[in-house]
Amino acid sequence: MPAEVKQEQSPSNQTSLAMMQEPQEVVEETVTIEEDPGTPTSRVSVVTSEDGTTRRTETKVTKMVKTVTTRTVRQVPMGPDGLPLPEGSSPLGSYTDSIDRRYMKNGERFITPQATSTLTRSYNNYSDSYNDTPDSQFRHYGLHDGYGDMPENYGSLSRGVNYRPYRPYMPTGGYRPENSYTLPIRKEDYGHVAQPQVPMGSSTVDLNRSQPERFQPEPYGLEDDRRSLGPDDEEAYDLEPDYSTANRRTLPGRTIREPLRNGPRVRGYEDPIEAELIDERHPYIHGMYPAPLAQPERGSMASLDRMGGRRSPSIDSIRKDPRWRDPDLPEVIAMLGHPIDPVKSNAAAYLQHLCYENDKIKKDVRQLKGIPVLVSLLDHPKAEVHRKACGALRNISYGKDHDNKVAIKSCDGIPALIRLLRKTNDMEVRELITGTLWNLSSYEPLKMVIINHGLQTMTNEVIIPHSGWEHEPNEDSKPRDAEWTTVFKNTSGCLRNVSSDGAEARRRLRECEGLVDALLHALLSAVGKKDMDNKSVENCVCIMRNLSYHVHKEIPGAEKFQDPSALQDPGSAGTQRKKKDDAGCFGGKKAKGRKNGEHDKNYDTLDLPKRTEPTKGFELLYQPEVVRLYLSLLTESQNYNTLEAAAGALQNLSAGQWTWSNYIRATVRKEKGLPILVELLRSDSDKVVRAVAIALRNLSIDRRNKDLIGSYAMRDLVSNLPSGQQRPAKNLEEDTVVAILNTIHEIITDSSENARSLITAQAIDKLVAINRTSQSARETKAASHVLQTVWSYKDLRNGLTKDGWNKTHFQPTATGTPKGSKSCKPGYDDTTLPLMEKNQECLIFHPHCSADGYSTIDQRDKDSKYKSSDGSSDLQEREPLKNDTNRKHYIRSNRPTVSLVDACDVKPQPVDSWV
Amino acid sequence: MSFIPGQPVTAVVQRIEIQKLREGDNLILGFSIGGGIDQDACQNPFSEDKADKGIYVTRVSKGGPAEVAGLRIGDKIMQVNGWDMTMVTHDQARKRLTKKKEDVVRLLITRKSLEETVRQSMMQH
Repeated sequence: MPAEVKQEQSPSNQTSLAMMQEPQEVVEETVTIEEDPGTPTSRVSVVTSEDGTTRRTETKVTKMVKTVTTRTVRQVPMGPDGLPLPEGSSPLGSYTDSIDRRYMKNGERFITPQATSTLTRSYNNYSDSYNDTPDSQFRHYGLHDGYGDMPENYGSLSRGVNYRPYRPYMPTGGYRPENSYTLPIRKEDYGHVAQPQVPMGSSTVDLNRSQPERFQPEPYGLEDDRRSLGPDDEEAYDLEPDYSTANRRTLPGRTIREPLRNGPRVRGYEDPIEAELIDERHPYIHGMYPAPLAQPERGSMASLDRMGGRRSPSIDSIRKDPRWRDPDLPEVIAMLGHPIDPVKSNAAAYLQHLCYENDKIKKDVRQLKGIPVLVSLLDHPKAEVHRKACGALRNISYGKDHDNKVAIKSCDGIPALIRLLRKTNDMEVRELITGTLWNLSSYEPLKMVIINHGLQTMTNEVIIPHSGWEHEPNEDSKPRDAEWTTVFKNTSGCLRNVSSDGAEARRRLRECEGLVDALLHALLSAVGKKDMDNKSVENCVCIMRNLSYHVHKEIPGAEKFQDPSALQDPGSAGTQRKKKDDAGCFGGKKAKGRKNGEHDKNYDTLDLPKRTEPTKGFELLYQPEVVRLYLSLLTESQNYNTLEAAAGALQNLSAGQWTWSNYIRATVRKEKGLPILVELLRSDSDKVVRAVAIALRNLSIDRRNKDLIGSYAMRDLVSNLPSGQQRPAKNLEEDTVVAILNTIHEIITDSSENARSLITAQAIDKLVAINRTSQSARETKAASHVLQTVWSYKDLRNGLTKDGWNKTHFQPTATGTPKGSKSCKPGYDDTTLPLMEKNQECLIFHPHCSADGYSTIDQRDKDSKYKSSDGSSDLQEREPLKNDTNRKHYIRSNRPTVSLVDACDVKPQPVDSWV
Repeated sequence: MSFIPGQPVTAVVQRIEIQKLREGDNLILGFSIGGGIDQDACQNPFSEDKADKGIYVTRVSKGGPAEVAGLRIGDKIMQVNGWDMTMVTHDQARKRLTKKKEDVVRLLITRKSLEETVRQSMMQH
C-alpha cells in the first residue's frame, strides 16, 4: 500500500501537526463490535483514505464502545474519555483515531512511521495533548505512560502495516488506557488502601506498639515465582507490561508512601502496580478484607497463577475477567503444603497478612487446620519459609483468643519455636520467634510449657548474650552493656509473663542458670547508662520483682535464715517486739552484728561485707546490693511500670521475717531510700503509689524505719486519702486507698509518736469521713481500724477531744464492723497473695503490675497486741535512739522532730530543729 | 531563690551575729531550723523554689537571742561561722549551730525582702 510508504516518509512531528489541523473534518467511522470478551483488545483499524475521508473499521471489545456504532471520527477519541473501560481497549481505538486523523490531516493516507518508534510516538502524543484541545485531557494521560504507548503503537502499526497478533501485547494495550482513565480515581483508591496498610510496615507503628504485626518487608511475589517457574514465561510476559505501565504511572503517588513501607515496596517495581491492579480487578475484595489485601495479594496471586495443577479456573479469569477472585483461605492454607518453597512462603506471608488484627481470620485459619502446617514449616530448612511461617504464627498467636495459642501449643509449636531459636541466627526470625513466645506466654496454661521447653534456651540464646553478662568475666575485657534489642525485649517479656505462674515457675526461673545474673547485669547497665525507661528494663524489673516474691519462703534453705526473734515465740508480743525494736533501733549494722554474734555458726557466711565468694544465681535477688539498684530505678525512671515494679521488688524483699529482709530494710534506710519512696507517694500513677505504700509498710517492720516513715511520710500518705465526699485530684483506686490506710495503720501501731504525726497531718478529718461515708466496705474497715488505733493512745485523747472529736468518731460505724481487730483481718493484705502480674502480649501492652499488696507482717497479731499499749512503751524504746546521734544518716534530725511535735502541733511535718 | 547545687549562688545576704544564751547546761539560740539536703524540700513553706534544700529559719522564739539579733522566720541560712549551709544535711546544720564551745554564731542569711529592697534601691538610682 502506498500508505505504508508514505508513512515511513512522514515525520511524526508532521503527523501530529497535521492532526491538529484536522479537527474540522468529519469522518465517518464504522465500528464493528467484536463480542468476544475473552480477547479484550482487538482493534484492527483499516484505514482507507479517500478524498480526505477515512474509513476505518474498529474492532473493540469494550462494551461501552459497542454502543457507538457510527460516528464522526472526532467523536471517537472523545468517546473513550468518558467511558470507564475495564479492559480499556477503547482508548486504543481513540489512538487509532488520532493516528488516522493525522493521516487525513496531511492529506496523505499513509500510516505514519511513528508507530515503529516508541519515542516518537510519545512525542506525538505529547504534542497532541497540548495542541488538540478537546482531546487534551485524554492525551494527557496518555502522555504519562510514554512507555505504555509503545505497544499500542505497535498495535496501530500493525493495523496499518500488517496485522500482528496482538495477543502478547494485548494486556498492555488493554490496561494502559484504562489506567490512564482511572488514574485519579485510583490514586484516591490507593490512598484509601494504603492507609490501613500503614500499620503493617510502618515504623510509626513500631513505635506505638512494641511489636507490630508488620508485614514482612521481605520481597515476595511475582519475582520469585517467576524465577522459579520458567514455564509460565508467556504469562509473565503477558502481565509484565501491565505492571510496568501502571507502575510508572503510579510512581509519583507512590513516593509518598514509600517511606512507610519496608523493603518490598522499594525493590520490586511491579509490586505497587500489582497492588493497584488488584484493586481494580477486585473491587469487591475490599469489602471483605479491606486494605491489607493489596499487598499480600500479589504474593498469593503469583502463587496461584503458577499453581500448575491446582490452578483454579478463576485464575484464567484473572486475565479475562476483571473480577477474578482472590484465593480463599482454604486455598492459601493448601498452598502452605505446596512443593515449591516460594509458594509456601508466599502463602504464609499472605496468611500473616490476613491475620493481622483480624480475629475472624485467625479463627478460620485455626479451624481449617492451618496452624499445624505453619508449625511444621518452622523446621523448614529454607529461611524464607520458616521466617514467613513464624511471622504468620506470631500474628495468629496474638490476641484474646486463647484457642489460637492452645492450637499452636497442641501441635508442639512451642518446642518447634525453641528449636528454631536455637538454630537460627537471623535476627528477624529470632524476633518473630520470641514475639510469638511472648504472645503465647500470656496464656496461663502455656506458661509452664514454655518454661519446660524454652527457659534455658531463651536464657542462653537471648537473655545472657544481650544482657552483656558473662559467666566467666574475662579480666581484660570490659564489662559489656546490655543491648536493648527487640529480641531481648520480647524474650524478657515472655519471661516476665511466665514468672508470674506461681511458686514452681519462680523456682524454675530462679534456678535457671545465669538468668538472674544476666537480668541483674542488664539492669545495672541500664542504671549506668541512665537508660531506664524502655520496655526491656521494665520487663527485667518485673521479672526480678516476681522472682523476689516469697524468697524468704521459697528459696532452698530459707528456713535457716528465719529471723530467730520471729521464730522464737510468735505468740508472745513482748519478746518479739522487743527484739525487733532492738534490731530496728540499732539499724542494719548493729542488727547484723548482733545476729552474727548470736548465731555465729550459721551466719558466718552471711556477713555481707565479708563475703568471699561472689554471690550468684538467685541469691543475688535478695542481697542488699540490689537495694541500690532498685532505688536508682525509683529515682531515675519515668516509666510507671518500672517504678511500680522496683517498688514492688523492695516490697517483696522487705517482707518476711528472715535475716535477709532485715538487711534489706536496713539497707533501704542506709541508702536513703525512704525519702525516695516517700517522694513517689506523690506520683500520679495509682499503682506506683500503691506499691510504694505497701513497700513502706513492709519497711516499717524495722523500728527505725517506722519512726522515720512516721515522721516523714505521714503527710504524703494522708494527702493521698480522699477527703470527705470528693476524692483527691488523683482519684486513687480503692485498692490504693486501702493500701495507704493499712500502711498508716502499720506505722501508727505501737508508736504514739507516729499517731501524733497522723493527727497533726490532719488525717482525722479524712479518716472519719472515709469511715462514715466511703462506699467501699474495705476502705471503711481500714479507716476504722486506723481510728481505733489512734483512739487507743490515751495520751492523745486529750488533744483529740480539744479538737472536737469524741469517742464515737473513733468507733467503728454502725455498719456492723466488729470492734475487735480480728474483724479487720480481711481488710489487710494477705501475706500470701501471690504477686501476679497480668500477662502481656508481645504486641500490645497492658502493663500492670500486681495490685495485690502483700506484706509479711502479720497484721492481726500486732493489732490486737498493741492496741492496748499506750505511748509510754514507745517512749522508752525510743530512748536509746536519742543517744545514738553519732549515726548521722538515719538518726539525723528525726529526734528533734519528735520533740518538736510534742512541743508544738502546729508545724509538724518538716523536720525542724531548735537550736 | 533557686540555685543549682554545686553552682555559685548569687544572693543578697545579711550578716547576723547571735549571742547564745546560756540556760543551764545548754546554749540557746532561740530559733529553729528546717530543711537540709536530706529533707523533703517540697515541704519547706519558706522557699520560693520547692527544690531548694537549704536551711531555713522556721521559728524564732519571742525575745530570744535570735530575734534580738534580727533573725526572722523564713530566712535562709547561707553560712554559719563561715561554713556553707546550702549543701548540708539538717543534722549537720544543727550541729554547726550548736557547738558547745562557741558562744557566738555569725550567720549569713538571705531573705526575700532583702532582695526586694536591693532591687528597689537599684531602680531608684
